[in-house]
Amino acid sequence: MEKIQKIKNIITALGNHEDSQAAIDILTEIGTNSPDDEIRELTAQTLIRKNTHESLRVVLISKGKGINDLSARVAMTAINELLALKDKKEAIKILDDTIKMHSEEDVRNTARSVRALMTFSS
Amino acid sequence: MQIGKISLHTTKTNTSTNKTPEKQFSTNPFGVSFKGNVIQADVFESAKNTNITKNIAEKSKLYASAIVSGINNFNEAFKSRMNSVVSFGKKITHNVFDTLERIGNTEITFDMNGIKNKMFPDRQYSVKQLSNKSVSELKTLWQDLDAID
Repeated sequence: MEKIQKIKNIITALGNHEDSQAAIDILTEIGTNSPDDEIRELTAQTLIRKNTHESLRVVLISKGKGINDLSARVAMTAINELLALKDKKEAIKILDDTIKMHSEEDVRNTARSVRALMTFSS
Repeated sequence: MQIGKISLHTTKTNTSTNKTPEKQFSTNPFGVSFKGNVIQADVFESAKNTNITKNIAEKSKLYASAIVSGINNFNEAFKSRMNSVVSFGKKITHNVFDTLERIGNTEITFDMNGIKNKMFPDRQYSVKQLSNKSVSELKTLWQDLDAID
């Protein structure tokens, strides 16, 4: 088994773990900072699927992570995952707050775009 | 059997009706006569026969003593062998009981997951196995993998 596949399995296991908050902390600490696009992509997906306030904040607000990732592939995967959520309430609330209050203009613009997509898709 | 040399007894023989002077003393202790004549010679005594009988008797005794001593030796050898066999058996029995006691007092545990992980090193990275681990263990595994280039 290749190293990348092992890490993907660890991310999947963390996504299913009962200790959700601890798993989110590890995904945020290690996964979102990985130099590998594939790992960051899977980490963003996993955090969005958690659909908690803490996990969504990481991928929606943090610069260089989730929808704000420099890799288009990672950003697009995160956006697709947000659009695929059945319950989008928490995600929309965080996006609205980000559009209103975030200090970084790039982050605000990205949040606005994603918010618009979610409005149209719902 | 030894018959003879008791022949110094004197026997008066009076076989003649003519009252002839008495015959000489014979050495026959039993006064056996043959066709009217007293047998002079001690026909019952034979030195050769005596010697043979003696020899046979002596040899028989020798054989007997040899057999007896042989039997004794055999008994001793048998006893010593039996003792060694018995002591060997006791030793084996002791060892067996000792081993059984040790086995009884030994707690044997098999870490089947550890064995499987050693046999199939990638197995511990299956999602099923990883799902049973704590978050801290998963973090350690991830960091270890990141450390490998």
